[in-house]
Amino acid sequence: MTAATTAATTAATTAAITPILRIEGLSKRFGGLTAVDNFTLAFEPGRLHAIIGPNGAGKTTLFNLISGFLPSDEGRVFFAGQEITRLKPHRISRLGVSRTLQVKSVFNQLSVADNLWITAQAGRGVMNPFRAAASYRQTCEDVERVLEQVELTALADRLAGTLSYGDVALLEIGMAIASRPKLLLLDEPICGMSPAETERTVAKIRELAKTIDIVIIEHDMEVVFGIADDITVMAQGAILATGSPKAIAADEKVREAYLGRPEDEDYTGEAAGA
Amino acid sequence: MTRTAIDRGVLAASAVFLLSVPWLIPAVADRFWVNVIAEILIWSLFASSVNLLFGYVGLLSFGQALFFGFGMYGVAIGVEKLGLGFWPALGLGVAAPVAMAFIAGIFAVRLTWHYFAIITVVFSLIFYFLALTLKPLTGGDDGISFAIPPTFRLGGAEWGFANESFQYFFILFAVAACLYAMRRLLASPLGKAFMAIRDNDVRASLIGLNVYWLRLVAFVIAGFLAGLSGALFAFFGRYASATYMFYHVSGEAVVWTIVGGAGTLFGPLVGTSLFILIREVVSTHWQHHSLIVGAMAILIVIYAPRGVVGVWRDLLERFGAPKL
Repeated sequence: MTAATTAATTAATTAAITPILRIEGLSKRFGGLTAVDNFTLAFEPGRLHAIIGPNGAGKTTLFNLISGFLPSDEGRVFFAGQEITRLKPHRISRLGVSRTLQVKSVFNQLSVADNLWITAQAGRGVMNPFRAAASYRQTCEDVERVLEQVELTALADRLAGTLSYGDVALLEIGMAIASRPKLLLLDEPICGMSPAETERTVAKIRELAKTIDIVIIEHDMEVVFGIADDITVMAQGAILATGSPKAIAADEKVREAYLGRPEDEDYTGEAAGA
Repeated sequence: MTRTAIDRGVLAASAVFLLSVPWLIPAVADRFWVNVIAEILIWSLFASSVNLLFGYVGLLSFGQALFFGFGMYGVAIGVEKLGLGFWPALGLGVAAPVAMAFIAGIFAVRLTWHYFAIITVVFSLIFYFLALTLKPLTGGDDGISFAIPPTFRLGGAEWGFANESFQYFFILFAVAACLYAMRRLLASPLGKAFMAIRDNDVRASLIGLNVYWLRLVAFVIAGFLAGLSGALFAFFGRYASATYMFYHVSGEAVVWTIVGGAGTLFGPLVGTSLFILIREVVSTHWQHHSLIVGAMAILIVIYAPRGVVGVWRDLLERFGAPKL
């Protein structure tokens, strides 16, 4: 009930501005399992929104539903006021919703520059077979700019499959920028990274958040409470709580949900103290 | 010498050799080898259609013989049943497989990997058996033989496939033009989109590529390449037969492509040359030449998964030749 009330409040406060992403009663069942259960939430533009929750809470399924990878059973999704509920993934992407996958995925046999090139060009639609790729000045300029932004200029000609894990993550972020999204969905962007790589990536995400609306799924509580403006906690496919990091850290139900997982307990405590 | 310089040198030497074949071969060997080389060129174009799908879009087709067969029948039916001249018959021999590829592709490219491979086999089997039974149209087992119409007619003079050198050069230029077009295509936005889909189709759709549509486009282009090779082969052999639609023919092209190097422009040419030369040289002495072919294919798949062209590139990289 609290979840519904909070969601309703969020919706009410943002009624004046069009939310960048509005989800209404979204549900997805796999056989007997309800992965996403009547999820309703409006994401305000200009804020970095994090979604947290225990494993199996339905976070990635929610992303799959938003990006058109899975058909939802019920509910609707609006992106910047436009309904995108039953659109195909490439249509949603072209409207300006970019997404990264939990498992790092780039085009391994293409060079770093070509990864960015095709990403930048894909949004422009037409794939002309009669013109050399190198003659598309706008796209090539975009590639150069993004290479500098993610500091991969030196590795531009390397095959993406030969990059280190941290560099692949940077390339993924670069690809997200190259597709010129209005909304970026990041699925555990720092999962499996060293502390140094984490720091570098978090800094990039912060920088991106200045110009792009971001929704991030992340397990690392320190990172989440460090960068998020809003946090939504999911459990069993539904919203457990949503609000500012401070409110979430103080929330009794959230503490309860994480008490069963001692490794997360001190993070919550730490964040509450902060 | 840099790697690019070596590659260019090899390419130039091959071009000079191929252009001089009609004079060079009769001087040093039996004339019959001119036609062997012409045949290699035709089959390498056929293998290129497998290469485009498998090497650049990631779709393994065992059904390209269907389009090869449509190319053959397009030409043979055009000449023999409809009384068409060379160019209209060639047009029919290209249009029929392209249309067929579009229709088959609508269903086939919904699937990937083994499902895709199976549906391509099924399509080619259906039409193989149809061709066998539709005797009035296809000649069934016997196929259709036809007399070759002239290609060009100027005043009283005629040029055509009846002239062996003309036939050779016509095939050489058709195949070279296709490989050049393919090279241009691969450097275009469409080519990069193909390769992105090959590497990661999920990611490709996430960046806004219409994976289904692009795969269909690739399938139709591959149908064109296979169809043109079939049309050329019909003119070359003066006949069309359902046996060339059997999936065994498709399978050979897959082996040639993988051995030569899938995902490289010249891999199919190298693989096809290797296998047809082995066949021509060994089969006169020993009946079971396909044993050698099989053993080679297995060894290359295990020890050099990027094929002969891949081995060549690794060698260039390892021994000298700094990258430019």
